Amino acid sequence: MVIYKWARDASAAMVRTDGVVDWRGAKMTPGEDDPAALAVAKSLAQTSGGEVVGLTIGDGDASWVLARGVVQAFSVTDAADLPDNATTAAILARAVGRIGDVDAVVIGDSKQESGVAPVLAGLLGWTAVLAVVSATASDGRLSAIRRSGSEQETFSVAPPAVIGVAAESEMATVPGMKELLAARKRPLTQWTVADLGVDVAEAVTVRDSQKPDVTSARVFEGGSAQVAAQLLAALRAEGVL
Amino acid sequence: MLAAVRGLGARLTAVVVGPDDLARAVAATGPDELRWVGPGDEVPAEAFAPALAAAAELAHPRVLVSTTDPAARVLLGAACARLGSALIPGMIGLAAEGDEVVVRRSAIGGEVIESYAAGGSIAAVFVGDDVETVTSNAIAATTNDLPAADISVVRGASSVVATGVNDAPRVVAFGRGVKARSDVALIEQLAAALDAEIACSMPIAEDVHWLDKARYIGRSGQHIAPQLYLAVGIAGSPQHMEGVRDAKIVAAINIDPGAPVFRVADYGVVGDLYEVVPAIVEELEHGQPSGGSHE
Ligand SMILES: Cc1cc2nc3c(=O)[nH]c(=O)nc-3n(C[C@H](O)[C@H](O)[C@H](O)COP(=O)(O)OP(=O)(O)OC[C@H]3O[C@@H](n4cnc5c(N)ncnc54)[C@H](O)[C@@H]3O)c2cc1C
Ligand SMILES: Nc1ncnc2c1ncn2[C@@H]1O[C@H](COP(=O)(O)O)[C@@H](O)[C@H]1O
Repeated sequence: MVIYKWARDASAAMVRTDGVVDWRGAKMTPGEDDPAALAVAKSLAQTSGGEVVGLTIGDGDASWVLARGVVQAFSVTDAADLPDNATTAAILARAVGRIGDVDAVVIGDSKQESGVAPVLAGLLGWTAVLAVVSATASDGRLSAIRRSGSEQETFSVAPPAVIGVAAESEMATVPGMKELLAARKRPLTQWTVADLGVDVAEAVTVRDSQKPDVTSARVFEGGSAQVAAQLLAALRAEGVL
Repeated sequence: MLAAVRGLGARLTAVVVGPDDLARAVAATGPDELRWVGPGDEVPAEAFAPALAAAAELAHPRVLVSTTDPAARVLLGAACARLGSALIPGMIGLAAEGDEVVVRRSAIGGEVIESYAAGGSIAAVFVGDDVETVTSNAIAATTNDLPAADISVVRGASSVVATGVNDAPRVVAFGRGVKARSDVALIEQLAAALDAEIACSMPIAEDVHWLDKARYIGRSGQHIAPQLYLAVGIAGSPQHMEGVRDAKIVAAINIDPGAPVFRVADYGVVGDLYEVVPAIVEELEHGQPSGGSHE
């Protein structure tokens, strides 16, 4: 199963001087790590002879996964974007339980929502590996690779497991016409939070929102020789030359 | 991270899963209690998530915190699920206010700082800057023998070749602002004059292959902590800058005064690298009587 997020593009959000976030002009997009998560889910399905189903909460666009090789999609339509990652995970865990018969949940392991995948694993009681870049299945086990700098770790996990995927680069996959047509015939099941019986009462309340004090660079502008001398003088004063 | 928790003025228990030198380093920061699990090489920390969550349930802490490290977050998530805690990612500070715990967090890639108040048990992933706090009253660790889940790990080097980039005191990196492969020579001259290693942004290594993959910096590449990181013709995307979070001084040369790199750098030069770089090399070689770099 692949879990993907469909939300307003945070890189297009503007923060006003009073700290209020202005989301106008931010388009709805899948999460940054989600194309990579989908690729990992497909690799697991291919190597295990299984199928990929998709799950999203909020106003997720099911055609995004259904046109990219996912055979069936589920969505929890009325779940808001919550600050508490544990509640998001609780909704997802309940939906995973409802879908049943899942060997691996593959989910984007995002920087911004870094608690969703691990709490989901905790609620399901499954083993988890996060910041994974690729995974395959063989002999009834999952093999997942994580990289950091020049080191690489290869995990072998007994399913069921949660695999959190961190994208290594931009991956744009554009579906063909055939896939787009097939997507329309693939089933989409929609639930509400009430259908799943999850309590989404806020465990946290927002106190305030502020624009951070930016400590922007000391910038030198002017003739090349002058700025070169200014930069080197500054770096010498810092003791780093 | 421990310093952020210390501010709450409550009893602090640290849990370490890993080698004993890590446990000793944490002990030196002076928690009230330290629980240490020292597994063999082939057992990852993730294996102890259920057992440690059960231990956390007994201890029922009000506040649970982990770093962003993927294994640490798995331990946090398991405990959080067991305790029914809320979880706020991106935490940069904690405060106790009456009966509530207030979590300050950085959101939307650092563009906004939000505060949330929690009346109950709260977990958080710490992303703030770490301060060195070494106390004299290091404590002894309680070692724990815990059951492990069915997961194993093999560690090795990824296929990339070793370079000097990782521990160089000075690194000069370039990005797509360098227009042609032959212009890399210009950056090489600058690196030589500064006695620096040479690095790059991801597209330089992955798309045009002007440098080895082991030399690109960032989220998916190398994470380095030089004294000086000089970014030349690099836009300063968050993914790139993540790799130099721990650098002492970041300087940037970019033709665009609005380039994001100027929001995170300490020093910036707005100008054409094709003019500024030769001027810096000239200045280093002939400008100052004291000459270029000294060790
Ligand atoms: C999941 C994911 C992971 C990623 N991981 C990494 C990573 O680990 N590392 C990484 O580097 N990137 C990573 N990226 C890519 C990253 O988002 C940027 O696209 C990339 O870093 C941009 O490289 P750049 O700054 O060299 O190029 P550009 O964005 O093209 O910027 C070039 C800059 O050069 C300046 N310039 C142009 N001409 C001149 C001149 N004559 N003189 C001076 N300045 C000039 C321009 O003003 C511009 O700011 C990742 C992306 C994704 C989606
Ligand atoms: N509101 C949400 N709806 C669905 N999934 C979510 C939501 N928030 C977080 N997630 C999951 O958490 C992962 C990381 O979130 P993000 O980076 O914000 O894209 C995504 O891949 C989703 O699977």
